[in-house]
Amino acid sequence: MPRMVDPGTKQTSPLTAQLRRGVLEHCVLAMLEKGERYAFDLVRDLANVEGMVTSEGTIYPMLGRLRRDGAVESSWQESPAGPPRRYYRLTSKGAGALEEFRGEWIRFRDAVDRVLSGGERHG
Amino acid sequence: MADRSVDRYLRDLKEDVRDLPKAQQRELVGEITEHIDSALAEMPAHTEADVRNVLEHLGDPADIATEARERLGIHRAKAGLREYVAVILLPIGGLIIPVIGWIVGLVLLWSSPVWTSRDKWIGSLIIPGGLLLPGELLLYGGSVCSNTSVNGQVATDTCASASGCASSSGDGGVRSRRGSTDRDRHLPRAPSERALARLRRMP
Repeated sequence: MPRMVDPGTKQTSPLTAQLRRGVLEHCVLAMLEKGERYAFDLVRDLANVEGMVTSEGTIYPMLGRLRRDGAVESSWQESPAGPPRRYYRLTSKGAGALEEFRGEWIRFRDAVDRVLSGGERHG
Repeated sequence: MADRSVDRYLRDLKEDVRDLPKAQQRELVGEITEHIDSALAEMPAHTEADVRNVLEHLGDPADIATEARERLGIHRAKAGLREYVAVILLPIGGLIIPVIGWIVGLVLLWSSPVWTSRDKWIGSLIIPGGLLLPGELLLYGGSVCSNTSVNGQVATDTCASASGCASSSGDGGVRSRRGSTDRDRHLPRAPSERALARLRRMP
């Protein structure tokens, strides 16, 4: 797995960090596409995707950002046992942003792939 | 036992997010608390190691705070030469160049993006800027006060309130000095200690 962040020194280039952030936000939107999800499960699942995030805790500020941007909304629901749970749901604005990202991502990915494989040929 | 490490974790987090807007602080600490509760609720018979594992997965509170700051577009400035010079000049600058040294320290303090307004007031009035100023003024014959004291008492009062030492009166250096020291001892220490701790944590 290519490591972007060295856990010892935490040196990530600002550009990489920014890129990762933008991609991550849309991955969250994609994870909510099939329906609302319990915040805890959402965070656990995202953190379990190899190479996605450095820690579970850093996902919460991102969820807050998405909520403020109106891409997701959260609501409290009673749980069969224990305290009420916070659920996240995609808004129509979020769904639109996800669609746009999908198109952009595929184009960007293909372009990078072409350049990278071209570089290999000439190198 | 387990609760204690959770408490410590949440306390660290609260401390680290102190410079975020209040609403965001509450929101973030609330969500992290819920996360811990949810994780521990899954393991009714959790051990200390389980708790540690949950907290390790959450990550360093400082990292969460950094992420939140970046998501909010808040940039915490890093302490540089200006900040160190300010901290040196505020207590002893007046001894190097009477009054001017302290004022330069004050200007550096207030122009720094590192500290909050609250920190700056503390820095100006209590520590490190305010503590020695009354003493310095006396040491140098109250250069600010007496030079300007055309009508004595009024000028001295203005000077005293500016230095955060309400008890310094123009009559007799010794008494006035003891008065200010007593007062300083009664000033709240906790905020100034936190301000210093914050400075120390600056990279």
